[in-house]
Amino acid sequence: MNYPRLKSFMLRSKLCLILLLSCSWQLQADELQWHGFISQGLIQAPETNFVNLDDSISAELTDVGVNMSWALSEKLRLAGQVVYLDGGRRYTKGTRLDYLFLDWTLYSDFDWRLNLFIGRFKNQHWLYSATRDVPFTRNAIVLPQSVYFDSFRDIAVGSDGLALKATRNTSIGEIELNWSWGATNLSKEQSQILLSTQAQGNADQDYVHQASLFWRPDHSAWQWGVSLLDSDFSYKKAELDLYSDGAMTVQRVMLNGRYAAEYWELSSEWVQERLDISDFYVPGFKRNSFSQGWYVQGRYNLMPRTWALLSVDIFDLDKDDRSGVKFSQSTGGMVPAYFGYQDDVTLGLTYDFTDNLRLTMEHHWVKGTARLAYPVMPDLQHNKSEYWQMWAMQLMYWF
Amino acid sequence: MNIKFAVAGFVLWACSALATEVVTHPAVPMDQLTVTQLRAIYSMRQQNWPDGKAIRVFVLSAKNPIHQRFAKEKLQMFPYQLDRIWQKITYSGLGAAPVVLTSEQQMREMVANTEGAIGYIENSDELSTLKVIHVTQ
Repeated sequence: MNYPRLKSFMLRSKLCLILLLSCSWQLQADELQWHGFISQGLIQAPETNFVNLDDSISAELTDVGVNMSWALSEKLRLAGQVVYLDGGRRYTKGTRLDYLFLDWTLYSDFDWRLNLFIGRFKNQHWLYSATRDVPFTRNAIVLPQSVYFDSFRDIAVGSDGLALKATRNTSIGEIELNWSWGATNLSKEQSQILLSTQAQGNADQDYVHQASLFWRPDHSAWQWGVSLLDSDFSYKKAELDLYSDGAMTVQRVMLNGRYAAEYWELSSEWVQERLDISDFYVPGFKRNSFSQGWYVQGRYNLMPRTWALLSVDIFDLDKDDRSGVKFSQSTGGMVPAYFGYQDDVTLGLTYDFTDNLRLTMEHHWVKGTARLAYPVMPDLQHNKSEYWQMWAMQLMYWF
Repeated sequence: MNIKFAVAGFVLWACSALATEVVTHPAVPMDQLTVTQLRAIYSMRQQNWPDGKAIRVFVLSAKNPIHQRFAKEKLQMFPYQLDRIWQKITYSGLGAAPVVLTSEQQMREMVANTEGAIGYIENSDELSTLKVIHVTQ
């Protein structure tokens, strides 16, 4: 993958989107649709580096977006979205092109359909990956970190490349198959969210290859899914750098399920992630580890317009060292064992003032710090407590 | 006895009057749909009729009792599930959500006058301008 070309693709994409928005007035309503959302919240996660470093209540919880979908013909459609995000230290702050792709319907008859997406598209493989920045589509303000690790957000949210989606109505229900191949161009700031501010070199995602299958059985309240991910990264050190040249491979196997009843629902995902690191820390370094995590979220419709949330999220950095003791020993005791896991219980409440104005509040009780920045370099200075708490509230409007 | 029959008849009449019917534009080349096919249409995943013409999907607002009965009885889903599907496709670029209409009367007019349209109504006494679709398991 040639990254200068990717950068120029991004620039061209932004220009295209501005051009399309500016000429949208002359299109008919059924050819062009546009929507958006705006949300602002407050969040506090003391004794951690999750949102900020001074433990104060933060207003760095902003999601704003505007999108358009333009039907060019019966088979071709162009879709784009620009977002402004501020999550404090959770991910990169600022305006970005969220997606811009050409959607080409390769085949469509009454019982099956095949679409090809070319450009920058969202990750369609996990339950919340396609809309993780769209606050009213999430059950919680902060998604379960076992699966939706914020330090990986900028890499996992989408890709520049090609994707296919096939849906088929069968005698056992609907089957949906997704496939994608692409890469994300990492900025210096994004690299440092992953690798710490001491990383001065260039990190690149060489490729990410994903596939997923969803099954919605007939006459059932269940939906089931499975997904696979394979991605390679490379790091080229700067002249003065803590790290060395290196390579990383990330592979994921994921399962998900969702049950929908009239007044309650359950959703759950399970993930096993292989992380293989070569060199990077020092030349000749080699580590291959398997982390595991899962969450279950239950929502209950307490009364009209009001939903309660109970979420349990479990993550172990090494499935063969769930207590983190071996991990701690491998650092000579310098890194506490609680950096080897992170378990979270969340209670939340959502109230809809109108059909498109919502307030969500939640409180997290957390044990462990394995999903706090930085994934490859534990932040001992700021993540000082095994037990910590976090609360957040967010007001959101969409159209 | 006669009174019982009269009451039973009234209940049956009332139930039939409130039954949700799936309706299309008269030129749509279908008489029946399976629940899976209807779900695929209302999830915006199926976008063409067998003759290749585009499917135009109309709904009433999520709070409308007719919409709620349609979702549960015909789609075997709940309105909040439909909202989530439509939000996902709208805000991840996969497509467009259905057109939301304000009343059953507007639904009749739009379905009758839009090629490839599909919608739903409850008062099925006036059906000359619409085609009723039988939904099978």
